[in-house]
Amino acid sequence: MTGMLPLLILSTSLVPAVVIFFLPEAATRVRAAVNLIGALAKLPLVGLILDGVAAGEQYELRYTLVPGLDFLLRIDALSLLFLSLSAFLWLLTTLYALAYLRDGANQSRFFGFFSLCVAATTGIAMSGSLITFFLFYELLTLSTWPLVAHRGDARSIASGSHYLAYTLAGSTALLLGIVWLEGQVGPVEFAAQTGIAGADPNTLRWIFLLMVGGLGVKAALFPLHSWLPAAMVAPAPVSALLHAVAVVKAGAFGIVRVVYDVFGIGLVTDLGLGVPLAAVASFTIIYGSLRALNQSDIKRRLAYSTVSQVSYIILGTGLAGPTAMIGGLVHLIHQGLMKVTLFFCAGALAETLHIYRIQEVDGCGRRMPVTMLAFSICAVGMIGLPPVAGFVSKWYLGTGAIEAGQIWVLFVLAGSSVLNALYFLPILYRTWFRPATGTWREPLTPLPAAKVWGLVSPAVATAVASLASGLLAAAQPFSPLGWATLIVTRDYGP
Amino acid sequence: MNAGFLLVAAPATPLVLLLAGLLVPPLRRHLPDFLAQAPVPALVAAFLAMGNASVDGETLLLGMALRLDFPGAVLLGFCALLWITCGAFASTYIRGSADRERFSVFWLLTLSGNLGVFIAADIISFYLAFGLVSLPAYGLVVHDGTDRSRRAGLFYLVLAVLGETCLLLGLMLMASGADSLLISDAVGAIPSLPYRDLTLGLLVAGFGLKAGLFPLHVWLPMAHPAAPTPASAVLSGAIIKAGIIGLIKFLPLGTGLPEWSLVLTTAGLFTAYFGVLMGVTQSHPKAVLAYSSLSQMGLVITLLASGLVAAGVSAGDVGADHGADGIAQVAAFYAVHHGLAKGALFLAVGVVGATGAARIGPVLAVTAVIALGVAGLPLTGGALAKLELKGPLGGGLVETLVAWSAVGTALLMLHFLRRLRMAASADAAARPSPGLSLPWGATVLAAALVPWGLYAAAGSHDLAYAVKPGNLWALTWPILLAGILGWSLRRIRLPSVPEGDIVEPIARLLEPVRSVRLPPLPGVPSIVEAVGRAAAGIVVAAEAPVRPFPAAGLALLAVAAIMAFALAG
Repeated sequence: MTGMLPLLILSTSLVPAVVIFFLPEAATRVRAAVNLIGALAKLPLVGLILDGVAAGEQYELRYTLVPGLDFLLRIDALSLLFLSLSAFLWLLTTLYALAYLRDGANQSRFFGFFSLCVAATTGIAMSGSLITFFLFYELLTLSTWPLVAHRGDARSIASGSHYLAYTLAGSTALLLGIVWLEGQVGPVEFAAQTGIAGADPNTLRWIFLLMVGGLGVKAALFPLHSWLPAAMVAPAPVSALLHAVAVVKAGAFGIVRVVYDVFGIGLVTDLGLGVPLAAVASFTIIYGSLRALNQSDIKRRLAYSTVSQVSYIILGTGLAGPTAMIGGLVHLIHQGLMKVTLFFCAGALAETLHIYRIQEVDGCGRRMPVTMLAFSICAVGMIGLPPVAGFVSKWYLGTGAIEAGQIWVLFVLAGSSVLNALYFLPILYRTWFRPATGTWREPLTPLPAAKVWGLVSPAVATAVASLASGLLAAAQPFSPLGWATLIVTRDYGP
Repeated sequence: MNAGFLLVAAPATPLVLLLAGLLVPPLRRHLPDFLAQAPVPALVAAFLAMGNASVDGETLLLGMALRLDFPGAVLLGFCALLWITCGAFASTYIRGSADRERFSVFWLLTLSGNLGVFIAADIISFYLAFGLVSLPAYGLVVHDGTDRSRRAGLFYLVLAVLGETCLLLGLMLMASGADSLLISDAVGAIPSLPYRDLTLGLLVAGFGLKAGLFPLHVWLPMAHPAAPTPASAVLSGAIIKAGIIGLIKFLPLGTGLPEWSLVLTTAGLFTAYFGVLMGVTQSHPKAVLAYSSLSQMGLVITLLASGLVAAGVSAGDVGADHGADGIAQVAAFYAVHHGLAKGALFLAVGVVGATGAARIGPVLAVTAVIALGVAGLPLTGGALAKLELKGPLGGGLVETLVAWSAVGTALLMLHFLRRLRMAASADAAARPSPGLSLPWGATVLAAALVPWGLYAAAGSHDLAYAVKPGNLWALTWPILLAGILGWSLRRIRLPSVPEGDIVEPIARLLEPVRSVRLPPLPGVPSIVEAVGRAAAGIVVAAEAPVRPFPAAGLALLAVAAIMAFALAG
């Protein structure tokens, strides 16, 4: 059973993907049903495993492809951090997408690839070895592209190509790194490092650079980030997928794996790689925020905000002290919850009132109070104010930086808070304090109630989750913070 | 009633009301009617829950701890009282406003934070409460939507965000030195922190900004008058005390940090005199009061600074109970009187504005007593506050300067009364509605009586001390002197300084900087971009045959499956 569970979880996303590809375009209800059944079936399975891993259970599935090359699925506490986030958000994003794309074209293609993306993400989370990780990572790269280019107009195709050019180059670097490393030390499984430390330090540094550089494309590390803002032309559910559920998280998760489970924190510190990684992340944090300030398109501003916020995860990883590690890991969840809410809301504004730019939100708090309240909660969380989740991440990163002796990080965090306030508070001000001046227009026919519900309720759910993750942060071990603490104290403790 | 429950109920009641209002739309319309009721549990808690109650919400935030010590209880009680009377005043005052629901939302949020700062015993809960009392107050400041209030709101928000940021960094540094997040543990560790001075500097900046310490005060004289009158009253009376309780809780009082004592004494005294100097140039009565507030808070900070002179003692009579706790207690006492009196004075501006010139005599007379009470008029609550203040300061230059500041305060209050008289309603026969005059009257009574009750219960001297001839004279001469000065200088025209004093020159200095338009930041370095474009071109060419996507999806799966089989085989 412990071997079958990983496979079962993978199939909850993979089977719907395959089925949906075969469904005719008109089979809207069947498609929705298949998709939702998959998403709903996944949650209890993940819950079961969460409970098991908390109790110390092991889940592993090993299948030898060729001698010396194993396909290995292994669920540890770190896997579950990513797995539970993507499973929870997949359900909500599916509900949202069903409403958002109602009556749109090419739905079979869209939902098929969407499920395939989630299946790939599930595989990434559960991968137990570098090769398995790479297989799923590539599957994710390729299955995301049709979603980015979904609309099919020139801009979408261009941003799809932009995306592919960047991520394929990243994958090449990653593959080179993997091959080089395995050439030196043989097949690498996560969480069982013995042989690596013996290799030549300079070779190891180059390999680290290749791997982190390759993964850094998806994680949108400066200067590899520019595909992400370009991809904001895609529909809002795709943005949610890119920014919260799957893609950038896969990059960040990969970097966490490389640092913790391939090299190990001790070796990364000995090679002198931790602080430079933290420095690159810090630069990206400030740079992303500065770029966000310049944007007048809501989704573009949010996209640059992601560039900045995802680097919190990498910052915590690079600092390598236990508290900072917790801060980085927990932000994987927190950033996902908050950013997905912001994109849900941005999409709802666009679909309902044709609001795309920040200048257009004047007074819309009265017209769409629930949506904008959800947006406001998560914007406040992004700034890092309690009791929203973002504060918890920031607190752990800050105190962790002091603990690691890197006090300069405090000023990066402070600068980021101030910049976040500078680019989020004006939106809130316009929403709640400016009178409506006809910058948005009502739909000619009122939207169907089902569509409004489908757009608004996922945003409410994730906003509540963002609030609850902060308010109940100390609830062990199933709050995001509790789980991140468990990961660090149990698997990577000193 | 369970004391722990009261501790939770105090800050939670406004939030529960708010949540009910948000979830039940019919209730939302009635939110403005519940502003006076929301702080009632806090008032009860101040009496019943002091000292013996503690709540530990281990799963909340990062481990929430609520406690109520004596200074906290005193401040909590008076703040609740002021929020009740001002809430009642506000319910009437905003009745005609289209945005009264929004006003109520921000009012309740601010209220919850204001009550929370006195109860929070762990760093995180405190920071949450402090953020709640700081940022939502923006909604009160800009409520009327005029250019003036929006400008004031902008300055308020920018400085509040900076203050929050300083505070957060200070708290992080401070927490790193202790094993627990309890404030009491972390404060004990401050003197031995590696970054002690940076930590203290950040904390003082965060709290001093809220309390109007020069030069972080600039937002205060802009924001307090710009808000609707009941909001001005709580801003200047109650919310400003969040900065004071912050300093009380987070300064390591009773430890020897003489250089910090000197810094804070200097800043406090300078603020006290500066507030008077700027205040007398103001024409709007609410702006005069705002400057008086920061001047008075300067005195409280001077008092707190005396707790850092040397380990275990204060500058004053060492024998009396003027250790760290004694100083906190006196600061709380002074703050209580100031808060109630200032609340009554702000509400008086609202009442006078609704009263015709023919009827304002009694209002002005009562207001005069309260106003001069702030300067220490004998037998008023202010006199008791001034007498309490004297003890810990000890003799010497600091006490003399504090004593002379009363002359300035009296002058400022006389100036306020003169400006207030001119603010009467244009309709000579107008009379204020009971919804305004009753809450004002209640605040006046509280300002007159509460300090006496507190003095009798916990003052450092007996009642006879308060009416000792020597003390009466010490309290009276500054007011007499101010009266003579005011009378003889009445014809002198003072230059009018804009609210926010040093903001204008600074803004002018920064004007050239502001007009420089920063070029948009460059994107990724162009080489990377060019390589990306070239690669993209190849991909675009390559993708043309697989454009029909569903086919591509199946093809992708098929290829994957074949690969898997091939590898397995």
